[in-house]
Amino acid sequence: MKRFSIVSAVVALGAMVFTALPAQAAEPGLTSSEIKLGISTPLTGTAALSYGKIPGAMKAYFDFINANGGVYGRKIKLVVRDDKYLPTLAATQTTNLVLKDGVFALVAALGTATHSKAYAAASLATKKVPDLFVNTGFSGFGNQAKYPTTFTVLPSYAMEAKIISKFVKDKFPGQAVALVAQDDEFGVDGVNGFAAGSLTLASKTLYPQSSMTDARAKALVTGLSAIPGKPVVILFGTTDVTALIFKAAESLNLVSKFTWIAGSVGGDANTLLALGVKTTTIDGAIAASFFPDAKDTTDEYVAEFSKINSKYNPGVTFDNVVLQGMNSAMLTVQALRAAGKNLTRAGLIKAIETKGSTFASAGLVPLNYSATSHLGYNGYWMGQLNAKGELKPYGGTLSVVTTDSTNGPITPSTYMRPSIPKNGIPTNS
Amino acid sequence: MKNMKITKGFSALLVTALVTTLAVVTPSAAHAETTCTKDVFTPSSGGSAVNFQVCTGTDFNGAKYEIRMPSKFNGMLFLYNHGIRGNHNMPKVPVIRPNGYVVDMSPEVAPGRTTNDQLLIAQELLKQGYAVAGTGVSTQGWSVPEAIQGNLQLISAAYEKFPKISKIVSWGDSLGGHISQALSEKADVIDAVANLHMAGSASSQYTYANDFLWMFKTFFDPTIKGNGYASGTAGYMEYMGDITKVLTAFGTIQAAIAANPIAPTWPASSTVPDSLKAIPVRSAVLLIGLLAGVPVQSNTYDASSGPAGPLETSFGLAISPALGVFENAFTALALALIGNYDAEVRCGGTIFDNTNTDYAARLGDNGDVYAAGLTGKSATAGMLAYLNKLNPAAPRVKGNPDSIYCIKSQQDNYSGKITIPTITISQTADQVTPGGFIQKFKELYAENVAAGSAKPGMLLNIWNKPPDTYTKFDAAGKPITPAIPTTGTSHFMYTNKDLLIIAKMLATAGKTGKLPSEASAKAAFKKNPNIFIDPDYKPELMFADR
Repeated sequence: MKRFSIVSAVVALGAMVFTALPAQAAEPGLTSSEIKLGISTPLTGTAALSYGKIPGAMKAYFDFINANGGVYGRKIKLVVRDDKYLPTLAATQTTNLVLKDGVFALVAALGTATHSKAYAAASLATKKVPDLFVNTGFSGFGNQAKYPTTFTVLPSYAMEAKIISKFVKDKFPGQAVALVAQDDEFGVDGVNGFAAGSLTLASKTLYPQSSMTDARAKALVTGLSAIPGKPVVILFGTTDVTALIFKAAESLNLVSKFTWIAGSVGGDANTLLALGVKTTTIDGAIAASFFPDAKDTTDEYVAEFSKINSKYNPGVTFDNVVLQGMNSAMLTVQALRAAGKNLTRAGLIKAIETKGSTFASAGLVPLNYSATSHLGYNGYWMGQLNAKGELKPYGGTLSVVTTDSTNGPITPSTYMRPSIPKNGIPTNS
Repeated sequence: MKNMKITKGFSALLVTALVTTLAVVTPSAAHAETTCTKDVFTPSSGGSAVNFQVCTGTDFNGAKYEIRMPSKFNGMLFLYNHGIRGNHNMPKVPVIRPNGYVVDMSPEVAPGRTTNDQLLIAQELLKQGYAVAGTGVSTQGWSVPEAIQGNLQLISAAYEKFPKISKIVSWGDSLGGHISQALSEKADVIDAVANLHMAGSASSQYTYANDFLWMFKTFFDPTIKGNGYASGTAGYMEYMGDITKVLTAFGTIQAAIAANPIAPTWPASSTVPDSLKAIPVRSAVLLIGLLAGVPVQSNTYDASSGPAGPLETSFGLAISPALGVFENAFTALALALIGNYDAEVRCGGTIFDNTNTDYAARLGDNGDVYAAGLTGKSATAGMLAYLNKLNPAAPRVKGNPDSIYCIKSQQDNYSGKITIPTITISQTADQVTPGGFIQKFKELYAENVAAGSAKPGMLLNIWNKPPDTYTKFDAAGKPITPAIPTTGTSHFMYTNKDLLIIAKMLATAGKTGKLPSEASAKAAFKKNPNIFIDPDYKPELMFADR
């Protein structure tokens, strides 16, 4: 009994000591001087060409914030792991971030197949790891029972498809429409959106990811050229496939046969040009966006982020992907600030639910965060690329619309974007 | 590709049973005489010579047992249970048993990847003053009741011969782990237990294997019988015929994948419509693997890496997971064929029933995660439709209720009523005993704790994962099968170093009645980057356990 009493006393004393410590002492990845965040994203492989700049852009913004005092005195450290945009490797790397690197939260993971597997494999729900600003438009991540700690940032693919549907019906009445989409949850989300948008399709081609080749692209374009008139071709896939199809049209001398619309995932002009698409091909192509164009230096966010990029991310061209990365980093800083000095994982999630919709961001459409919605932006504007790769409002007038992922109406946005925080440094609480 | 490499654990599966009845053996305190001889060895790890006795005997059920007792005995006995072995002699069968097989009834006293490793583990324990022992079990195949009886009789013999035994800890691998666990729940003489890549329940293991076998035959060769073998010689011939057919179909698919991994063709024995044959056969293999619960990572394939060049990403995305399933699946097929024959003889009829299995509903998120490997959602839907129970070209298996009861209820499955320190260590990508079986064990334990029938804080799960990436390619871009199985895959037996760490934990737990803390267990394995301990890690349950 004596031994038991001593042990009990020690345990009780230990409990008192731990109770007296600040709550954050028990949170992984958090010290009085540092917040450790993690990102699993492609740094190599085919997807890296498009998205490989995101971690560098985020790190640049965090370095900028760190140089300006951090978040309530804590510096942000970003641990980056390469998942090559492969589901099994994403699961491995996300698990490594949580178990080996001991990060406080995950940020800006990329992809649907990759991240849905990673989320389960790394037990993010059980561990209550905040999973911030995932770069996917898959509406399934809005299921809070399954993904309670996840916040996506992109508008859903279904929203995008609905908005494109309305745009096509309004601007190209009578023209036949062909859809070329990836045959997975990304494409199906879009297909469902086009159906919800009541868009009549003259042709629908679904292809498995990684299956498109030069030969298949040429066969596809040749087949589509049989459609009379000047069909609208909607490319709802990744940028590498958009490039293959554009180049097939170039080699077949069929570029001008179609009105091209590239979805937001596959329509980045810089990447298309880097993949060898001619400037004359992208000139006039239509694309959807929820951001200002990265080349629009009159935009205050673009201007500020460009400045930060020049100083903290030297040698990297400022483009739409860098803009996206910096924007997510600024959202992250605001979320950390909103969670307060006594930072916890639960507090961070709560802060985004209660204050996330008010965060300053470059997006021209509102953020949709609340206790019942963990989906990010909820709208788009349609633009037209020029030969320089700049996306300009279609018809010369910016028209931003919002909608939901199901059967809700598409309405003009009344959203007034908040000004960028002074000098690009959030001061919210 | 050398996918059919036979490992020690795998070879243990490759025989069948001739047991004609389920022998429920009456416990007996009596045993045959134990005879001992003296021996000595010089430890390979250094130190002075170790004197010990080798004691052998045969229990009243005919099981051979062995005890090795050091002259400087510290009072603790390590009781080991070996994995499943065949219960039938087998003629020479290419790939499976090129040299044939004679039923092995010998006892083993310690785990290890090779016979020599087993000897070294036993010697190291003897050097530290522990006794080691094991039973060969009176019947091979899936024979948990007989194994428990063998253990009890061995314990009785050991106590009688060596009254100084004060503690007994039990360990075993694969089915042996299952036996050790079941024994520890039934016999109040075990002080701690460690289960190495422990098998699930007989019912769940057989469902796992049979699901794959049924889908394999449905897609690739419907003349494979698989279940419901005739009695006697006729049934044995049917069974041997199945082995030939499976090997033929497997080899044909393997050759097709080797020739064209992007678009391999289906075997000629397949009778599926041409619309399905337009899908690369690797996608069909991946699908049935996912629907059965076969891991996508295997000895050779990490489901991520690709050869340098244009295929680098797409190989990892779309091809490697299928090849991982394919490499793993051979074991599932062997377990199904050999295990089914064994179990049908033992239980008197078909033990598997999938008349109401909704395979399509099993795909879940994997349909999205592996959409590229499955050649897209449209192709997946087509293949799932073919497997639908309403398709007359894909007749389901109707089980024999008595035989199913025999497998489900007469095998002394563990229940999770844990009252002593219990350690599991398992591979995350084990194709014979996938991690889902351990998840089920965890859940059984949690239910028992909640019900007050198990003590809380008595289960530690240790996991062994593959390296982050590990597939290697030769200069021509062909995958290279490793000479030593990749850790975390392949029903991999642990290194001697890891086994001795587990033994140390087990001994300490047996002495103190307490589990090692999570922190101390992590510290013990800190030099092994592939071992992890995470109470939140939750592998998906096997389908029969959901």
